[in-house]
Formats: sequence, C-alpha cells, structure tokens
Amino acid sequence: MAFLELTKIRKQFGQVAAVEDFNLQVERGEFVSFLGPSGCGKTTTLRMIAGFEIPTEGQVSVDGADITNQAPNQRNVGMVFQSYALFPNMTVAQNISFGLRIRKESESAIKERVTEMLALIHLDQRGSSYPYQLSGGQQQRVALARALAIRPQVLLLDEPLSALDAKIRISLRSEIRAIQKELGITAIYVTHDQEEALSISDRIVVMSHGHMEQVGTPFEIYNFPKTAFVANFVGTLNTVEAIMVDPEKGVLKMDGIQFESASRVDGLKKGDKISIAIRPERLSFASEQRKANVVDAKIENITFLGSVVRIQVTVGKTKFNMDTFNNPFLELPKIGDVLEVTCSREAVLILDRQN
Amino acid sequence: MKKKINLWAWFWIVLGALYFLVPLYGTFDFSLHEKRGVLSFFAYQNVLMDPRFRESFTYSVLMALATIVVGLLLIVPTAYWVHLRLPQARPLIEFITLMPFVVPAIVLVFGLIRIYSGPPLAFTNSEQLTNLLLMCGYVVVAMPYTYRSVDTGLRAIDVRTLTEAAQSLGAGWFTILFRVIFPNIRAALLSGAFLTFAIVIGEFTIASLLNRPAFGPYLVYMGNNRAYEPAALAIISFALTWAAIGLIQLLSHGRSDQGQLGGMH
Repeated sequence: MAFLELTKIRKQFGQVAAVEDFNLQVERGEFVSFLGPSGCGKTTTLRMIAGFEIPTEGQVSVDGADITNQAPNQRNVGMVFQSYALFPNMTVAQNISFGLRIRKESESAIKERVTEMLALIHLDQRGSSYPYQLSGGQQQRVALARALAIRPQVLLLDEPLSALDAKIRISLRSEIRAIQKELGITAIYVTHDQEEALSISDRIVVMSHGHMEQVGTPFEIYNFPKTAFVANFVGTLNTVEAIMVDPEKGVLKMDGIQFESASRVDGLKKGDKISIAIRPERLSFASEQRKANVVDAKIENITFLGSVVRIQVTVGKTKFNMDTFNNPFLELPKIGDVLEVTCSREAVLILDRQN
Repeated sequence: MKKKINLWAWFWIVLGALYFLVPLYGTFDFSLHEKRGVLSFFAYQNVLMDPRFRESFTYSVLMALATIVVGLLLIVPTAYWVHLRLPQARPLIEFITLMPFVVPAIVLVFGLIRIYSGPPLAFTNSEQLTNLLLMCGYVVVAMPYTYRSVDTGLRAIDVRTLTEAAQSLGAGWFTILFRVIFPNIRAALLSGAFLTFAIVIGEFTIASLLNRPAFGPYLVYMGNNRAYEPAALAIISFALTWAAIGLIQLLSHGRSDQGQLGGMH
C-alpha cells in the first residue's frame, strides 16, 4: 500500500468540475510534482490533501488512514505557500516554533528543534529577525523550516518559488530537493514551470482541465509524452498532422513526405489521421550515412537563445523548429538555403488518433 | 530646479486652518477669563474639582471600555469570517454597519426604550441592565467606525493564506484569531477602539434618554448652567480626542511596513 493515496478524487465547484477521476499513489519519501497550466486543478488537488477543500467524491489517505474529511489542523501535513505566509508579527524563531507550541512540546525541545531548522536552512543567525527584514528567498526558506519543524507526514509546496527571481528560484529549488532527500519526507510540489518540475521531481503528474494527462518520471514525461497536451506543455515541440501508411512498420506521411516512426499505438489502421511530435533538439542536418527520415528543408529564420540556436525550417508546407547547441565555432546555414534535415525513427512520436 | 510656490494652495490651507483654529483659540481664550481682568485656569480648576465631572467621566470611560471590548469581539470575528468564507456577504454587512448613519440615535434609543422598558424585557427597571442597554446602543452607534477600521486592517493582510498557514501547523480558530489575526491588525483595532472611545465620551442622546450619568449629558448640563466651564470642558474634550489620536499614531508606529510581502527583494 502506498504512503499517500488519492482514490477516484473529484471536486466540483458549482457546475464546474475542477478535478475529476484523479488517482495517485505516492510512496514514502517520494517527490511528486503536479504540473499544468493555470486552472488545471493542481492546486485544488493539493488543497484537498491539505484539508482546505473537501473532495466531492473520492478518498485521501495517508499511511493507511483515511483523512478525507479531517480538518486541516487535525492532519499532520506541512504546507509552504507561494506568498510565504509567514506571520508578520512573529520573529523567524517564533514562526518556526508556532506549530511546536500548538503541539505543547517542551521549551527545551522547541529550542532544540528551532536551532536544528535554522541550521538546515542556513539562517542560524537570523532567528530574532522579523520576516520583513529578510529577502524573499530567505522568507521562503523560513516558511519551509516552519512547515518541516512539526515533522509532517507529507510536505505540500504550492508554487513556492513563483514569487522569486530566476537565480534564486534555481538555487532554492535545489535546496528544497536536497532538504527533502536528507529528511526523506514525502513531498507534493505544485508548479506550472516545466523546467522546475523536470529538475526536482521523482515523478510528475501532468494535469489539464482537471484531468491527469500523464504520470511518469521526468525522463518519461519529456521523452515519451502520451498525449498532444503533454507533448506541447512539456518542452518545445513540433507537432504536425500525418496519415498512417503502414502501422506495422511505423510508416506515415506528412504533407506527402514519408516518415518512419519507432513508436507504436495499438489499433491504428492504414489511412488513420494521427498527430506526430518531434522535439527540436532531435532534428539535425543530415550526414551522408543517414538513409531514413531525410527531407529537404528550407532555412527560414535563425534565433540565438543563449546556449541554444533555434533554426526555423520549412519542410513541404510545414514549419519545424530545430535546436542545436551554440558554440563560437558553429557554422550556421544562411537563410534561404535548402539543406537535408533528418531525425531518428525514435524521435518521431505518434501522439494520438485524430479519428 | 526651483520649485514654484502655489500661492492659491497656500491660501486655501491657511483659510482652512484659520476656520478650525480661530474658534478653538476663541474658546480657549474665553475659558481663561472666568476671573475678571486676569487670565487664569480657574474654570478648569472648577471643572476638575467638580465631583460630577469625575463621576460622569469615569462612568463614560468604563462604558467606552466595555463598548470597545464587546464591539471588537462582535465585529472582528464577523469581518474575519466575511473575508475568509463569505466575501459575497460583504455588501450586506457594509449596509448593516452603515445603518447607524441612516437611523438617528434618537430613533434607536426610543426603539430600545419601547422594547426594553416593559415585560418581558424590563431592562430599564434595573440600573445594571440599563447600563447594558446603553452599552449595546453605543456598540451600534460606533459600529460604522469599528467595522471600517477592522475591515481596512483585514484588507491589508492576506487573511486567507495566514489562516491556512496557521491551520496547517495545527492551530484552531481561537489560536488563529488571537495569535495570528489580532496582532496583525493591531493598528486597525486601536484605531477602531479610539474612535469608539471618542464617540462614547461625547455621546448625549442615548445616555440622556436612558437617564444615565454619562459625560455627554454632563457637558450639556454645564453648557446650560455655566458660562466659562463649558468652554474649559470643550477644550478638555478636544485635548482628550487629540490624545486618543496621538496614542493611535504612537502605538501603531513602525508596524505599517510589516506587510505580508514586505521586504521582498
């Protein structure tokens, strides 16, 4: 039995179903991210685990105990909020000890735990500071320490880095992951930032319109998206419509140009309309040895994106993006050139049937 | 660049200041002339030595404190709940809290007397119960000010997130209210409390018609029977109000910069 289980969860607000048919099993010590755009139901699901929302249907259980209808203050769940939610009238140490005092722990135990937490977030000297005297990143570290101080069964993080600038976001997400691993705590992390989810998680739940689109490791989600939504939402992707020519051999046609794919979808027949997806970094200029999936492409535009150069090409009537790593000695084609472009059979992903 | 002085702006500021300060100075000057030919604080001495002054003032101060406590205990949880769970009820609550501006105190007190002067609720037969009635009347009269102060304070903090943060740490409603919400709207509570104090200290209609020995009726009594003492009392009342405003400033000083996202950088 999994440590945290969400079974057939459904949440309805008036006529709108915010979350539907949500089933998830999270193992002890696992770090799972809910990833999706605004309004996809990820925060609502997190709030149901915290107890701030009661599911219309379904069950939430932690370590075998049904907590579906338990009040938030009766659950042993720590929560970190996007806006930090530190108590402005209390010092850092008082914020961290708040939950421990409610649990009526002894003064010596509280002092020891606060010292331990301050050391964990590297703010040993800031115990007597007020939240407004700290930077955003420091405030969020205090919020994390406050949530962890009560030794929660599950740690919930609701877009904790969204209010911070890019550099602090990257360093703090590594810090959060390191602390989670060190303590071995089960964590659920809500984010709309795919890079954040990919870099920090053991598993990702991609959500859209209240539904789970796909659950998998970052590697699976990025490399083998199961739906067009996941493929488009996670990373940059070229998605085009094609027609199945030979389902057995994975041969398909796009704009009259033949492609081969290594991915297999059950039930596909010759003539079926399908969506195919190719990551920009999987496209490259053809070398002489390549025989399959080699097509003529016209260079339309070249954009420098720092570490990556994005080249926009046209194959037939369809536009593709292809990415190549930037280096000072890179020889780039000229706009208007027609060159051979290729990709492996494995790079051509069949997403779903159109009819 | 030299800043251009706007003479018209200064003209209106000076005119406004004179409008308030000249009558105040006139009253103060008049209050010093009780003894013919010399300036003295004799009128103030008379007022402060008058046992009715001390009794009525003490009575009104106690009533004000009771009104503040009951008013805040009634309004803070209501305003908090409206912010947290019933935002759609805000227009209705605002309408209700504005009623004392629409219904004059005289109507309120006649309503109270009509309902509470005969069986089964003959409150006016007992001194203590009449005091209670007066205090309830004061709570209603001060409600527009108290509610608005508390509401402004609650708007300045992220009530919902702070509540949820406290709940996730195991806090119940009582702890959340007294350890998280109240301390973070301290300035608003003080503002509401001192406004209530100022209103109760000078209130005449309800206290007079309920026949209670409050400071407001005493002020009117003095005004009708003495010449210089009412001027001295007016200055004393004015000083008390200013002291209350000064206390709000003093006690809430330095808290305004501790907003929820304060210090983000």
